[in-house]
Amino acid sequence: MKPRVRTALFLAAAAGAMPALVRALPHFPAFGDHPSPYADRVLASAPVDRHVQNVVTALNFDYRGFDTLGEEFILLCAVTGVTVLLRGSRGEHRSARTGQVEGRPVIPPGEAVTLIARLFGVATFVLGLSVALHATSTPGGGFQGGVLIASGFLLVFLGEGYRGWRAMMQAELMDAVEAAGALVYVGCGLVGVWQGLPYLTNTLPLGTAGSVWAGGLMPVINAGVTCAVLGGFGMLFIEFLEETRVNPDAEQDTEAPKS
Amino acid sequence: MLIDILQILLAVTGTGVALTRRPVRQVIALGANGLVLALLFMALQAPDVAFAQIVVGTAALPMLFMVVLASMRMDRRREDRREGMS
Repeated sequence: MKPRVRTALFLAAAAGAMPALVRALPHFPAFGDHPSPYADRVLASAPVDRHVQNVVTALNFDYRGFDTLGEEFILLCAVTGVTVLLRGSRGEHRSARTGQVEGRPVIPPGEAVTLIARLFGVATFVLGLSVALHATSTPGGGFQGGVLIASGFLLVFLGEGYRGWRAMMQAELMDAVEAAGALVYVGCGLVGVWQGLPYLTNTLPLGTAGSVWAGGLMPVINAGVTCAVLGGFGMLFIEFLEETRVNPDAEQDTEAPKS
Repeated sequence: MLIDILQILLAVTGTGVALTRRPVRQVIALGANGLVLALLFMALQAPDVAFAQIVVGTAALPMLFMVVLASMRMDRRREDRREGMS
């Protein structure tokens, strides 16, 4: 599409949508106002009902646990899809050379970058672990903790380069951690079924509020989600960063005519 | 006040993403936009959302785009060379 046609199309669409927007704007709820009574009720009842201070975790892993199970499997399916699509072409060998575009140097990480990445990598890992462990008492939870730990993996890549990073990232281990996490979640649901109650019923003792173990099933599900998320993101990073390596077979193809 | 500043910054960086032409620079702009969004979540007292946003929006997503761009560039150069050969 030519830029002029595109601009004309945009202006026409904007002219059409503008009156509706202008009419709707004054009727928006005020900033910070939420018209749902459900939120107030859950905020009041969850600490008493479930011995949990972080109501978001209670919603995710208990009241709406089944929705989160679905999300869990969306992540699992997405990572599986990426793995199926990207596996096999490049970077299968751990020592594969960095792909290079002519006229562009491959610069190894500088000493300062390595130092900063080492310091912050450890700090990020500890922060992620803490956020995941204290899911029921402070903001955050399995997903946030999992992605924080996974971003620590990226800092290792930044500081140590691809080879050092791949020495740490074992694809088989990431696969296993991700699958085990998802299995733990599914298994937690079956605890209730075994007692003749609906799937994912929270029947474990709820414990004292404020402790890491408060919330009955929630800390167990939370641990499962943490593993699944960090394994999933780890897998994703491995599959994508493998694409920056040279495929040894293709390399022979292109190197041959030079000689 | 802080929230107002962050909202304006969000609009500015978002416009920056839309107006950037080169893909590599656009990825950096996207990261800046994600960082401002994470700060806004923090200012709105949603640190858990901010954690997820800062990792996904400023580290994971830009990295995936960078890898895709690098991979495309490697492929393009290889095709160029093949064409030059024949």
